[in-house]
Amino acid sequence: MTNAQLEIQIILSLVAVACALPGVFLVLRKMALISDAISHSILPGIVLGFFITQDLASPLLIVMATLTGVLTVVLVEYIQKTGLVKEDTAIGLVFPSMFSIGVILIARNAGDVHLDVDAVLLGEVAFAPFDRWMYNGIDMGPKSLWMIGTILTVSISLLILFFKELKVATFDAGLAASLGFTPIGIHYGLMTVSSVTTVGAFDAIGAILVVAFMIVPAASIYLLTNNLKKMLVYSALLGVFASIVGYWIAHFLDASIAGTIATVLGLLFFMVYLFAPDKGYISQWYKIKQQKTEVAMLVFMLHIANHEEEQERNVNHLQEHINWTSQLARKVLRLANQNNMIVIKNDVVSLTPKGAEFTNKAVSYISDNKNAELEGIKQNFFLFRG
Amino acid sequence: MKKIIAIVVAICFVACKPAEKTNNLKFTVVTTTTMITDLVKTIGGDAIEVKGIMGAGVDPHLYKASEGDVSKLTSADLIIYNGLHLEGKLVDVFEKMNQVGKKTIALGDFLAHEQIINSEAFASSHDPHIWFSIQNWKTIATKLTEALIKENPENKLVYQKNGADYLAKLTALETEVKTKIEELPVEKRILVTAHDAFSYFGKEFDFEVVGLQGLSTATEAGVKDVQRISDFIIENKVRAIFVESSVPKRTVEALQASVNSKGHTVVIGGELFSDALGNPSDEMGNYIGMFRYNVNTIVNALK
Repeated sequence: MTNAQLEIQIILSLVAVACALPGVFLVLRKMALISDAISHSILPGIVLGFFITQDLASPLLIVMATLTGVLTVVLVEYIQKTGLVKEDTAIGLVFPSMFSIGVILIARNAGDVHLDVDAVLLGEVAFAPFDRWMYNGIDMGPKSLWMIGTILTVSISLLILFFKELKVATFDAGLAASLGFTPIGIHYGLMTVSSVTTVGAFDAIGAILVVAFMIVPAASIYLLTNNLKKMLVYSALLGVFASIVGYWIAHFLDASIAGTIATVLGLLFFMVYLFAPDKGYISQWYKIKQQKTEVAMLVFMLHIANHEEEQERNVNHLQEHINWTSQLARKVLRLANQNNMIVIKNDVVSLTPKGAEFTNKAVSYISDNKNAELEGIKQNFFLFRG
Repeated sequence: MKKIIAIVVAICFVACKPAEKTNNLKFTVVTTTTMITDLVKTIGGDAIEVKGIMGAGVDPHLYKASEGDVSKLTSADLIIYNGLHLEGKLVDVFEKMNQVGKKTIALGDFLAHEQIINSEAFASSHDPHIWFSIQNWKTIATKLTEALIKENPENKLVYQKNGADYLAKLTALETEVKTKIEELPVEKRILVTAHDAFSYFGKEFDFEVVGLQGLSTATEAGVKDVQRISDFIIENKVRAIFVESSVPKRTVEALQASVNSKGHTVVIGGELFSDALGNPSDEMGNYIGMFRYNVNTIVNALK
């Protein structure tokens, strides 16, 4: 592995962590797409910066882009705070207007200059190791490594200092207000950090991967845990993992690094979505199937309870009476038997005392519809947990 | 943090096979656009290993790098690019590479100030499409030959011979193209294209050049632009307008519809190669073939 390759992976990992941290809060606050919005809304800042310096390579353009990014999130936050529109609508209101201002400024004043976000700001991580910071003639390493390192240090410090406030402001703005600190201040602070991180990361690795780093790790980990600290740590780890795996896949395919990592992130999310223990697709599907069987068993128990005559309770005729396939009938019978709800004597089914209690509770829940009963049933008789 | 380090180390071990040593001790040059790749291959001949980054039909402003470019740039003895912001942010990177001891050359720097067309409003901005002037390309070929000799003196004779041959070919091309353009009376020399790529061409061969779209790809042609240009086309009885290989056709087709609705017939005269050459296997895959094809397309459509 060459130095350049190592440096690329370090830069990618740092950006992944720097994006994942604010990303968690943005996903929780339903403002995940703010990073994508910023990639468009900073255009007028870049254009104004160019009008002032007349130089496409000037750092002032990046500074102006950052300021416009902060202005974007402040406007979004302000509109959203009015409560008149939803979060995504607020984002959608702000960024097209700002982007259009940039387009109009270019069309009116600079039609013959190659001025756009791609040419000025958006970086390419493959070239990051070649853009170095020289100090007194000494090679200090890639410039973007320093920039993203600084941003990351600042945002981690802020995160540690204001963790409690952030937690309360994110999950319960009302509580935060009643505890005496203003969630609005915290929100503006969070959005400012997100905006600065986004612009800095754009400069280092380009737009699409920044959006992926902000949203995908946080969204994936949110399916696995609701614990904020765990979300932050695991999202950062997932981002780093995807960066390194994606980088080497790109190496062997000779493909775009950003594109491959974004694809890897997408696949990771898909895996989590399928296999997450609680909220995942497979676990949900399994639960629904279990519920169906449980309901079927309840129907069966009610049937048994309602009929004294042995004819109706004969194992071999059950399916005709309740109109089931023999397969379902057998499954229900086995489940009830396993849970000691029934006994079978001479092919005739009877309820055990436990079965009778269960049926009674279920009947009283159905008739008065009080949830307390249902919780009791769930806890005492939750069948598949033994 | 420990986990991260563990993962990094683990993957490094898996991925680190001993670097493939290319026994190739040839002078290695990395180039950006297809025009430059063609030029360096022609002058360098067998003495140089040329690795082009951008392929045929790629818009250099919007180039997306692949992982292989990292090793290409690392292994390069010399990097040659267009400059004048043609390659977007890459230009900044190349300029800074000189500081860390990697030699880079911008072809735009070979041209004297009066050979470069400036932006009307901003003096520091330049039109980067310098290859559309054969005069410029000759200057560049001469200076590039000198630069290659300086960087790699062992192959001096090869570069000198190829450089001289190529200059002769470019001079022949110039004569051929001029004769072809003579077929068009001066008042018919009006070139309407999708974006402002042909200013150098217009300046050298007395064409009035009208680009529907500006240099930046962020803006699109305004309604007023289309109106103004369509009036211009009718007034000057222009017979054909042109699309470009690396720019979408849509705006040019809109212009055609606008002109035709006013009772003047204008056809789409063909597709011109602007920011990239054609496929390497085709006739349009080298500079001379591309130039000849463009001129023939323009002259035949406007006649």
